[in-house]
Amino acid sequence: MKSARYLLGAVRFNVVEYYTWFLFIGIYLATGIFVPTIFTSATVSNVLVQGTTVCLLSIGMTFVMLVGEIDLSIVAAAAFAPIMGIISWEVGFPVPVAILLTLVIGAVIGFFNGLMITKLKIPSLVQTVAMWWMLGGIVLIITRGEAKTGLPDAWMLLGRVFIGPIPLLVFFFILVVIVAIIFARRTVTGRRLYLVGGNREACGAMGIPVDRIRIISFMISGFFGALAGYVLSARMGFVSSRFAVEWLMPAIAAPVIAGVSLTGGRGNFLNVIAGAYLVQLIVMVVRAGGVGGYFTEFVQGLLVFIAILVNAGRQRVTGR
Amino acid sequence: MMEVKNITKNFGTVRALSNVSFELEKGRILGLVGDNGAGKSTLLKILSGDLQPTSGEIYLEGRRIRFKSTADAMKIGIAIAYQFLELVDSARVWENFFMGRELTKRIGPLVFLDIERMKHSTAKAVAKYGPELDVEREVGELSGEQRQIIAVTRAIEANPEILLLDESFTLLSLEGRKEIVNFLKKVNRKSDLTMVIVSHDLDLVKELSHYIMVLRGGEKKFFGRTDEISIDDIVRYMLP
Repeated sequence: MKSARYLLGAVRFNVVEYYTWFLFIGIYLATGIFVPTIFTSATVSNVLVQGTTVCLLSIGMTFVMLVGEIDLSIVAAAAFAPIMGIISWEVGFPVPVAILLTLVIGAVIGFFNGLMITKLKIPSLVQTVAMWWMLGGIVLIITRGEAKTGLPDAWMLLGRVFIGPIPLLVFFFILVVIVAIIFARRTVTGRRLYLVGGNREACGAMGIPVDRIRIISFMISGFFGALAGYVLSARMGFVSSRFAVEWLMPAIAAPVIAGVSLTGGRGNFLNVIAGAYLVQLIVMVVRAGGVGGYFTEFVQGLLVFIAILVNAGRQRVTGR
Repeated sequence: MMEVKNITKNFGTVRALSNVSFELEKGRILGLVGDNGAGKSTLLKILSGDLQPTSGEIYLEGRRIRFKSTADAMKIGIAIAYQFLELVDSARVWENFFMGRELTKRIGPLVFLDIERMKHSTAKAVAKYGPELDVEREVGELSGEQRQIIAVTRAIEANPEILLLDESFTLLSLEGRKEIVNFLKKVNRKSDLTMVIVSHDLDLVKELSHYIMVLRGGEKKFFGRTDEISIDDIVRYMLP
């Protein structure tokens, strides 16, 4: 019991710290005045489920941001890894193995990114753009531009099974979040991500294997990219070459809104969840709120920009 | 007893240190002074294993010691506290204190950090020599002397024989300087720790150290007891 309390202590509540949640809930209530339909349980459930993709991508992105890096290939992993998983199923592997393979491929992509970035000292922005480009190209070759459909039922279990009114996916998602938070706050490697992001030289001087920690962060982001892609495909029932690409900007914006430092060392995963749902809410409300046709993306971007400004203001005041 | 014999260090054709020798009894503090480029940092780096001397030997209690890295030097009992290089500002005091050697505990088959024990040990270690400190605070919020106390306390946790301190006091306030002097004197007295201190602050070196060595252009110009030399004389030795 004591150990359970210790681990859950990782998610202690603190008003100042979790301001992103207040921002999210505040904006949610405020937009409800203009778009009352967002209070219906159907919409809430919808946002909750749809938001898992952005959340998982944002969590992955946060792990690399903690060490002061960025991973743009995360959305390519989200398409490439599930496609390879499905191909492995098509050639005869059982579905659980195919899913596992999907996640492993994500981690391997991250490992390769991390290796290039630490050993050849390629900036992460450059390395991961190249990786994104390449993987996107491979996916295009494999799919010939068409969506890959006809996924096995077992693959789509997560997206199709409900416990009461709530999809299994939501429970799975909550579990993943809890594990991620406990990893970040209560394990040696997790804490070292923050330390390495805070001061790489200091960590090296104190005997922390800095490069290994940085590589691990990319493996985690690749893993989360693959997981987000798998979850999305389980929900949608297909994988396409343009899969998840639209969520790259939100996956970067969400951690930034949540106060994750782009230079590393700071980041609260619970806030990242709120940030991701905030971005998801903005995207959805602008669509549902009847912002016409060509204006949608501009208004979405503008609102995200405002949220980032609010966070910048907060950081000036609190000094973190 | 630490003996340094005929240490010479060349960087290409540039001679940074030339035949520097000195002896230091256990528990004594040596202040190493000199103008920029005099070779004091180079000497400190050689003593800490960060640099290899071109020639010369180092003996500890009569035994010749050699090391290839700072990690090697640490194993032999030489610890170094650089100024601000080795603290993570965005991390808390206890995290900084235990970075690289985190305490863990098992829960079932998994290994987790033992945060309570680390906080407790940190508070205890800091309180041993210095004023009380909230170990939950981020290091970036602390004053220069508090940061210095943390870095030094962390360095001496492993019970080293010799502690090397580099340029540690330049950014301190007057009160902060006093606090650091008291703190280091206490550390020196309580644990009989031999120390080598590099600083530009001559008043501080005079106040703190038992011996003073003046380097100029890589050569030893003076070595002697602190009470045998005035600050004016130190300056005279430092200048060409």
